[in-house]
Amino acid sequence: MLKSKVFILLLSLFFVPLALAKEPYVEKPLLDKIVTKYNVFAKKRFFYLQKSLTLANEKNDLEKLEIVNNFFNEVKYLTDIINYKKSDYWATPWEFLGKDRGDCEDYVISKYFALKYLGVEPKKLFFTYVKSTKFKAPHMVLTYFETPKSEPLILDNYNRKIFPASKRKDLTPIYHFNGDVLNQIGKAKKSHKKWDQLKLNMKRKKI
Amino acid sequence: MTLFKQIAIMLSIFLLIILATVLTLNFQSANKSVQDRLYEDAKNTATSLSLSLGNANGDISIMSTMINANFDSGYYRNIILIDVDKKVLYKRETETEVLNIPKWFLNFVNIKAPIANANVSAGWSQVGILNVQSDTTYAYKQLYSIFKSLLISFAIISSLGLIILNLLIHTILRPLKEVQKQAAAVIKNEFIIQKNIPYTKEFKDVVLGMNNMVSKVKAMFDKGNEELKAHKELEYIDQVTKLKNRKYFIDKLPSYLKIDASSKSGVNIILSINEMGETNKKLGHSKMNTFLVNIANIFTQNTKNTQDAVISRMNGTDFFILLPGYSSDIALEITKSIKTSCIDIIESLNLDEEKTSISIGIYEYICTDTIPQLLSRSDNALAQAKFSHSTYIEKSSNSLEVMGKEAWKSIINLAIEKNKFYFVPWSVIDTKNKKLDHHVLSINLTIDKNTSYSYAQFMAPAIEAGLSYKIYKNILNLLFKTPQIVLKAKKYALRLPLEYLEATNSYNEISSLLQTNAATLPFKLIIELPDKLVNNNSALIMQYKKLFDMYNIDIGIFEFIGESDDYQYLQNIKPVYIKGEGNYFLTQNTQSLSALRLITDSVDISIIAVGVVDIKILKELQKKGIELFQGKVTEDLEI
Repeated sequence: MLKSKVFILLLSLFFVPLALAKEPYVEKPLLDKIVTKYNVFAKKRFFYLQKSLTLANEKNDLEKLEIVNNFFNEVKYLTDIINYKKSDYWATPWEFLGKDRGDCEDYVISKYFALKYLGVEPKKLFFTYVKSTKFKAPHMVLTYFETPKSEPLILDNYNRKIFPASKRKDLTPIYHFNGDVLNQIGKAKKSHKKWDQLKLNMKRKKI
Repeated sequence: MTLFKQIAIMLSIFLLIILATVLTLNFQSANKSVQDRLYEDAKNTATSLSLSLGNANGDISIMSTMINANFDSGYYRNIILIDVDKKVLYKRETETEVLNIPKWFLNFVNIKAPIANANVSAGWSQVGILNVQSDTTYAYKQLYSIFKSLLISFAIISSLGLIILNLLIHTILRPLKEVQKQAAAVIKNEFIIQKNIPYTKEFKDVVLGMNNMVSKVKAMFDKGNEELKAHKELEYIDQVTKLKNRKYFIDKLPSYLKIDASSKSGVNIILSINEMGETNKKLGHSKMNTFLVNIANIFTQNTKNTQDAVISRMNGTDFFILLPGYSSDIALEITKSIKTSCIDIIESLNLDEEKTSISIGIYEYICTDTIPQLLSRSDNALAQAKFSHSTYIEKSSNSLEVMGKEAWKSIINLAIEKNKFYFVPWSVIDTKNKKLDHHVLSINLTIDKNTSYSYAQFMAPAIEAGLSYKIYKNILNLLFKTPQIVLKAKKYALRLPLEYLEATNSYNEISSLLQTNAATLPFKLIIELPDKLVNNNSALIMQYKKLFDMYNIDIGIFEFIGESDDYQYLQNIKPVYIKGEGNYFLTQNTQSLSALRLITDSVDISIIAVGVVDIKILKELQKKGIELFQGKVTEDLEI
């Protein structure tokens, strides 16, 4: 009797972690394709991403923000016109990390989907068009609202640290949108040209 | 249903399905496009208005004004600003009434304008969400207009498509129409050869096959025609004088010795050349033939002004000249002239007038005489003439009348006036298939229960009194106007005599009767026409044929003795049968009858023997391949 209880316990110890284990952020077949297209260093970057995300998984929202923001801010900035030969292009997280290059929207997108993967509620995350008074140029940051009425936290690639909005005098908010609100219209309808195209590229696993 | 109709219906349905599908898809596409447009307009408004609202720094009154300005200047169902707690901050809404659009269309299309939304912020703070929904009124109007245009296009394209389709099928199937015509002609025993050979292989093979078949049948008919003509010449023509012979005379007599003959009486002149053997010896064979030809020419010359004269060489020495409708007085004048001319010839040949002479007897017959009676009485007149060395006149001992002329006239007029004629059907039996082929209608005149006269009794006095036209007019009215009362069988034949058919008003009267009553006739009708009228292929007979064809009435031929020079008329008239005396068919040689069968079989004409009185004659006729009979014998046949 005792032996059988021990056996069941051992079995549960073996299977429970498997059951609780999360799907990887990038699945293996896709990762293989990324390696084929880019190089082994790309694979390494995705390995570290997965490692960071696994580490962040058990943390609270603020810690998750911190880890994700730090990880993606390591990617080098490059304009779309050089990177993609297009004036404005919203890259998928796989393209962004595969190339290890991107502009402000690409940082925001990759941070958004990584946080969503980690379980941060999408309704708290906003794509915010801002004006950078420092660079006198249009810019985009990811904003995090703990509650709809609370002051947002700014995840930026210029200033690599996360600050509350009130501390970012160099940024003037212009317009923001939330992916969740846009998605309410349904798949068949258009909601936001760039957002719709990005969703399509994500669905097609564009690398 | 014709092949043309089947193909036309199938392709038309196919075309309409394609066009209807295109119409539906077009309309659905337009519908989707309009609805997308509604959403895009709403989305653009939501985005641009939310940007503007961002500048109001959360001031509701400014934001309301901005929403009002937008709402009033555009076509929106509603614009609603909701705060972060899902509370409505401001709302503008309009209940629009869609005018000038039918209700069924509104129910049918049922446009739902999607709601577009955008986040509204004030600086870094969220204000809420702006929902914008476009007004569907304009969309309905636009869609209804598109729908009408599509329907008009559909109607025009469908009509054009169907017209073009119709023309195409007509063009493709034109050869088939020709083939169909040819096939119909074959059914009607007409020999049409298709000259335009179709290009389509299948049609080409059919046309060539049918041409070949028709050519063969036509060749069969022509061969029969030629053979019969050749046999008739041998059978009916005296080879020396080219006059008709005894056989012809005997075959022809029944049409004059019958109760409804066009002439109640007439004369038969019998001329005999005496001492023919001596004359032959003296003249020699060649000169003797010339002498006989000259004598024949005298007969022909002297009777050229008499109607229906039948001149026949009965044997080596005797000649008959039958003059229906003429009296012995006129015959006497003719014989005088003939005798004078003959004496002139005898003198010119230096023959002995005492030995080579002409004896002439005259027999005045009546239509009720039998053939043996006419022949024996004619022989007797000749014997008396030879004995008395002068022209001898003999008169028929038969009598036509049991009543006086005036009494008959009165009875017949009464019958015409009171419609006292009744049909009596006689059977025509098909012994091969053991069935009734049809009934021939005879007529009785019944004044009351005790006073009734048969056709044989009243017709001769009627002809004498010139009333036969009125009688036939009366019975035709009876047949067409009240057929259901007297006639119950499926097929009847009515014989129309030559005199009636040739009368001035007959065609118009028959035409009028057919026009009014033919469609409701409860049985199949065959009109029997005399061979004498039919075989001359006249315009009148073709006119009757056209009329009867129009009303689906068949033609039969009676009194057939095959005396025509050409039997093409059988192919032209296409009778369902020919009726001839049983004796006529019995006396035909095998070759003549075979030739006649070749003709009738190739154009599907039955041969019916009439006047057959007993089984013995019927059996003999059956041996000659005749299977249809009319006459007294049919009463003894079991079917």
